[in-house]
Amino acid sequence: MLEVTGLSAGYGQVEVLHGLDFTVPKGQVVALIGSNGAGKTTTMRALSGMIRPRAGSIRLNGREIGGLDSHDVARFGLAHSPEGRRVFPTLSVEDNLTLGAFPRLTGSRPKGDVAADRARAFELFPRLKERRTQLAGTLSGGEQQMLAMGRALMLRPEILLLDEPSMGLAPKLVEEVFRIIRLLKAEQVTMLLVEQFAMAALGVADHAYVLENGRIRFQGPAQQMRNDPAVRAAYLGGSH
Amino acid sequence: MAILLQLIASGVAVGMIYAAIAFGYQLTFATSKTLNFGQGEALALGALFGLTLVPFIGYWLMIPLVLVFGFALGAVVERLGVRPAVKIKSEYGWIMATIALGIIFKNVAENIWGRDDLKFPSPLPETALQVGGVRILPMELLIVAGALLMMLAVEIFNRKSIWGKAVVATSNDIDAAGLMGINTQKVITLSYSISAMTAAFAGVLVAPVTLTGATMGSVLALKAFAVAIIGGLESGLGVIVGGLILGVAETLTGFYISTGYKDVPGLILLLVVLSIRPVGLFGKAVIKKV
Repeated sequence: MLEVTGLSAGYGQVEVLHGLDFTVPKGQVVALIGSNGAGKTTTMRALSGMIRPRAGSIRLNGREIGGLDSHDVARFGLAHSPEGRRVFPTLSVEDNLTLGAFPRLTGSRPKGDVAADRARAFELFPRLKERRTQLAGTLSGGEQQMLAMGRALMLRPEILLLDEPSMGLAPKLVEEVFRIIRLLKAEQVTMLLVEQFAMAALGVADHAYVLENGRIRFQGPAQQMRNDPAVRAAYLGGSH
Repeated sequence: MAILLQLIASGVAVGMIYAAIAFGYQLTFATSKTLNFGQGEALALGALFGLTLVPFIGYWLMIPLVLVFGFALGAVVERLGVRPAVKIKSEYGWIMATIALGIIFKNVAENIWGRDDLKFPSPLPETALQVGGVRILPMELLIVAGALLMMLAVEIFNRKSIWGKAVVATSNDIDAAGLMGINTQKVITLSYSISAMTAAFAGVLVAPVTLTGATMGSVLALKAFAVAIIGGLESGLGVIVGGLILGVAETLTGFYISTGYKDVPGLILLLVVLSIRPVGLFGKAVIKKV
C-alpha cells in the first residue's frame, strides 16, 4: 500500500502542496478530488517522481520512494497514467504497450509473461487490438486514453495512478473508462484516481480525499461523501 | 551528358558522408535536443584510430574496433560536455562544451598522430570502374553502401529492440518515457554513443579517398550540419536527400563554375532553407503541446 505523510511539493518558487497525509490501502480505490488548481495533478507528479517532493515521505509497501527519479519509482511498481495521456505518438499501439513493461523486459522487475499481459490488455480494450499496428498518434482521444491505461497496466503495478482519465472524452467514452476502472477494481488493482467528474469518481472509489489549495480539506468513505450535502454543494458541483 | 553523370556520381559519395554525419546529429537531437559539435573530431579520431589498427588487423577487422571506440567516445562527450550543462539548466552550455571537447580531441590527435595528413591505405582496388561511361572508384561504392547500411542498422535497432524503442519513446516524450521506467539519462548517453559511433565509422569510410589527419573532420562536420538543417533535424530521409543535394551541388559548382566556389552552393541552400522553411525540407512543423 501507499502511505503519504507531510508531502509538500511545487514548481520553482511556488509551493503547491502544503503537507498532505493520505493512504491508499492495498486492493482499494482512492479518489482525490477538488477544483482546478487544488493540486491533484501535482500530487500525482510528486508521487511518480516527475517532480521532487520538498518535504514529507512517500512509502510504497513500506519502502521510501519519495525523491527517486520516475524510472526508479516505476521499478518499485508504481504506474502512472498521466494527465493528457502522453502516449508515444510515433510508436505503434503494440510498442506503446510493450514499453509499459520496460522494467520487466530489462530485468528490474520480475518478467512474467509480457505477451500474455499484452493479450490481456487487448481483451480489456478491444479497440486497441484492431489498431495494434497503427501509430499511437493517429488514435482518437478515447483510444489514446485506453492505450495510456493499458500501457500503465503492463507494469503489473503495485499501485496504478490514474490522472484525469476522462478528460476531454465524449460521455460515452467516459462511461467506458469508468467501466474499465470498475473492472480493475474487481480484480483488486490498487488505484489512486484523480477525476474532475467527482460524482463518478466517488461512485467507484472506496475512500476519497478532497483537496483544496494544496491541503486535504475533507476525507472519508466515498459513499458517505457522495451523500454529504455540504461536500456536494461545495466541491462536487452537482453534475455527474 | 557523360560529364554530368560523372559529376553526379562523385557528388553522391561525398553526399552520403555528409548524410552519415548529419544522421549522427539527428540521433542526439531527438533524445536530448542537443548536438555534439565535436562530431568532426569524432570522425577524425575514428579514422586515425583505424589507421593505427589497419597494419595489424587489416581494414575489415578494424571496423568493429573503431565502432566500439566511437561508442565509448560518444559516452565521454555526453558525460563531460552535455550532462553537466543540461543539469544546471544552462541552455547553451552544451554548445561551448562540445566545441571545447572537440578542440581538445583535435589537439590530442595532433600530438599522437602529428600535424601532417596521412595516407590511409585503400582496402579496395584504386582503379576506377567504368559504368556506362562514368568512372566510379570501388571505394565510393563502399562509402554509399556503408553509410546506408549503418543508417539502416540504427533504424532496425530503434524499431526492433527494447532499448531502441526506449530511444524512440524518449524522443517522443521524455517525461512519459521516465514513467515507463526508462532511465532517460542512460538513453541520452546511448544516443551520444551511437552518434559518435556513426561519425567514427564515416571517418574510416571516407579516409581512403581523402587524406587522414586531425583536422579532416572539421569541414565535413560543418557541411553535415548544413545538411541536417537542410534536411530537417528530425527526418532520416531528409538527411540522405539533403546530403545528396549538397554533395552533387558541390561537384557541379566545382566543375562548371570554379573549385574555389565549391563550398558556396551548400551554404546558399542553407540560407534559403532557413528563411523559407526553418524546420528543414523534410521536417515536420513543431506544434508545441501544452
